[in-house]
Amino acid sequence: MAGPVSDERTAVVLPAEGPLAPPARQGERTLERRRRAVAYLLLTPGTLYLALFFALPLILIIYTSLKSGGLLSGGGFRFTWQWENYTDGLATYGSFYVRSVVYAGIATVACILLAYPMAYWIAFYGGRWKSALFFMILVPFFVSFVIRTVQWRFLLGDFGLIFGPLKDLGLLPQDFRVLATPLAVIAGITYNFLPFTALPLYVALDRIDRSLIEAAKDLYATKTEAFRKVVLPLSFPGLFAAVILTFVPATGDYVNSSVLGGPNTTMIGQIIQTKFLVELRYPEAAALSVVLMVGMLLIALLYAKALGTEDETLAAGAGA
Amino acid sequence: MSDARSVPAGDPAWLRGMTMRRMSRRQMMRYAGMSVGTLSLASILAACGGDGGTGGGTPTEPGGSTMPDYTAEPGPVIRFSNWPLYIDKARDKETGERYSPSLRLFEEETGIKVEYTTEINDNAAFFGELLPLLQAGQDPGRDIIVITNGREFAALTQNGWVYELDPNLRPNFDANAAAWAKDPNFDPGNRFSMAWQSGLTGIGYNTEKVKRPLTTADDLMNPDVVPPSSVGVLKADAPDFAMIQLGIDPTTSGPEEWKAAADWLRKLRDAPTFRTAYDQAYVDDLTAGNLAATMGWSGDVLYYALWEDYPFEFIVPEAGALIWIDNMMIPVNAPNPQGAYQLMDFYYRPEVAQMVTEWVLYMSPVPAVQQLIAEHAEQEKGAYAEALRRTAENPFLWPDEELLAKVKFGRPLTTDEEAAEWDSIFLPVWEGL
Repeated sequence: MAGPVSDERTAVVLPAEGPLAPPARQGERTLERRRRAVAYLLLTPGTLYLALFFALPLILIIYTSLKSGGLLSGGGFRFTWQWENYTDGLATYGSFYVRSVVYAGIATVACILLAYPMAYWIAFYGGRWKSALFFMILVPFFVSFVIRTVQWRFLLGDFGLIFGPLKDLGLLPQDFRVLATPLAVIAGITYNFLPFTALPLYVALDRIDRSLIEAAKDLYATKTEAFRKVVLPLSFPGLFAAVILTFVPATGDYVNSSVLGGPNTTMIGQIIQTKFLVELRYPEAAALSVVLMVGMLLIALLYAKALGTEDETLAAGAGA
Repeated sequence: MSDARSVPAGDPAWLRGMTMRRMSRRQMMRYAGMSVGTLSLASILAACGGDGGTGGGTPTEPGGSTMPDYTAEPGPVIRFSNWPLYIDKARDKETGERYSPSLRLFEEETGIKVEYTTEINDNAAFFGELLPLLQAGQDPGRDIIVITNGREFAALTQNGWVYELDPNLRPNFDANAAAWAKDPNFDPGNRFSMAWQSGLTGIGYNTEKVKRPLTTADDLMNPDVVPPSSVGVLKADAPDFAMIQLGIDPTTSGPEEWKAAADWLRKLRDAPTFRTAYDQAYVDDLTAGNLAATMGWSGDVLYYALWEDYPFEFIVPEAGALIWIDNMMIPVNAPNPQGAYQLMDFYYRPEVAQMVTEWVLYMSPVPAVQQLIAEHAEQEKGAYAEALRRTAENPFLWPDEELLAKVKFGRPLTTDEEAAEWDSIFLPVWEGL
């Protein structure tokens, strides 16, 4: 979701340079025109790509979500403006959206708490090992998402690597378990989305001009104050991106809850997957997907509004 | 398996048994649906893109069907789509290439080339891939597909998306097919399909974790038999399985019976012994010791019990078990239905079916294979002979009258209303409602 937003921003900024440019002589005007042509040329592949692989499928999904009928006796799906797909879907599965948002919210907070100190330490104290250290965070993500989640089953197994020895030692009751509980699902999401949190945080922290911290200290700020008043506000843009990048995909995730969870941890992604792949009710599944997407978009917009744009955040940070 | 050297090194089945870790089909595919979900929803999107209605080049009002002229000259190539690890395999001694001896035999006999692909990991995902082609009336890209009896099967047959088979042109099937493979309830008279392989959904348990051997499905919720949170359920099979446990024949069941089954499943779900419900991946939890007992597929549990020496037992509960069939079908507009049909019938020759069963360990639709494998065991020596003998003697590969009386097919859902009602009764159980 962050992709299209930032692209839109680029698209707005570049052409705007034209009218705002000062009146120029003939030669400069040609140059200006050429520059604009190049700008459009650079935008074309990305725009086409998004139109083809993002916009078109989106339109298809919305189109499908308004169909009715069935594959068994209904003779296929027909487009009938079937708004009931939305109303019925929300009425039946509203609680699963809530659960997904709650799980993703907790996981996002956990991700920030884990990733911030890590990114901070690497950015400020990593020295010449910075890149190598950061790369180490990313290494596990060269392995498939599903495989990694499945490995967690072995790790968290009732008699697995962690709990097996603890139970043998009598430190845990024999019937203690984490798998098939919300804890396992949230922990799995936290683990799987951690790099999406760490990466923007690291970039933001690494970009901070060290002389600003020096200046703060020169002005008699304690270390804590320097962090609170300089580092933290300057890392807000990274934090903002990290939250969006973690929270949005985590809400729609269904792998963690289906591999690590139980009947009481069902998330909306699982419901959509079941509608598509078990019930073969494509329209209803598409409607639920659209609701999820629009809901996420609204949450992201509200969040952006509350925290302001990147520049405003910086300004707010500077003013604090 | 100590006297390995006494067996001829070139024997393909022997090589397979000794050099590869054997894997059951279900084991291979257990996360397949998930990767479809996470990596590419392309097939689903494609399915969404198709316009409403069925149709295309063939008369396909619901219930309509077409039968091609099977006596015409077959085409030069058959494209056969199947599930992974579901056919015999060998390595060519000269080229080192992997091939299927049974398919090669067919190619040699008929001169028709078979392009065999193992692209089916999930009925619904594969169906989603096929759907836009079927709806557009285009060449579906496959001449034979293998689909489990269930919702996708019904959609294919009821919309006229598979060719009707000519009952007069399958001599091997007529002569050799098992009674249970003939005239199944989901395809009366085998109008559209013939079994490839089959299996049972019963109970698998870990003999070291349970307090006494299980005999009924109610044992699954008995804390005196199984430990707390140690029982698994297979979501898709659970409704029919539950009905069978309640003494209901799923094939003739209606909403009242479904509700009774859902209540039984809720009771199981809320029992302290219950752990979770699975789409497919239950075997990992069984081998890891997280599960003491679970609804399971015969092939999976037997594989670990017989070939990996796990302390597992597979049982058909006293009240019975569920039987399912993976069926060969010819999608409509496939260019070579003549060749496809010939190949389908070819697999009903006992010596050909034997080649598959010595590899696959699911229920063969050709009962004569049992005797052939027993004879093969006589000719072999050592561990390989032992494995063959165990295969020939396994009661769940060769169901006898007594066992067959206890297994039932699932309820075929034939209308959208019926399917919706079924889902509204059973899905909430696993959604925690």
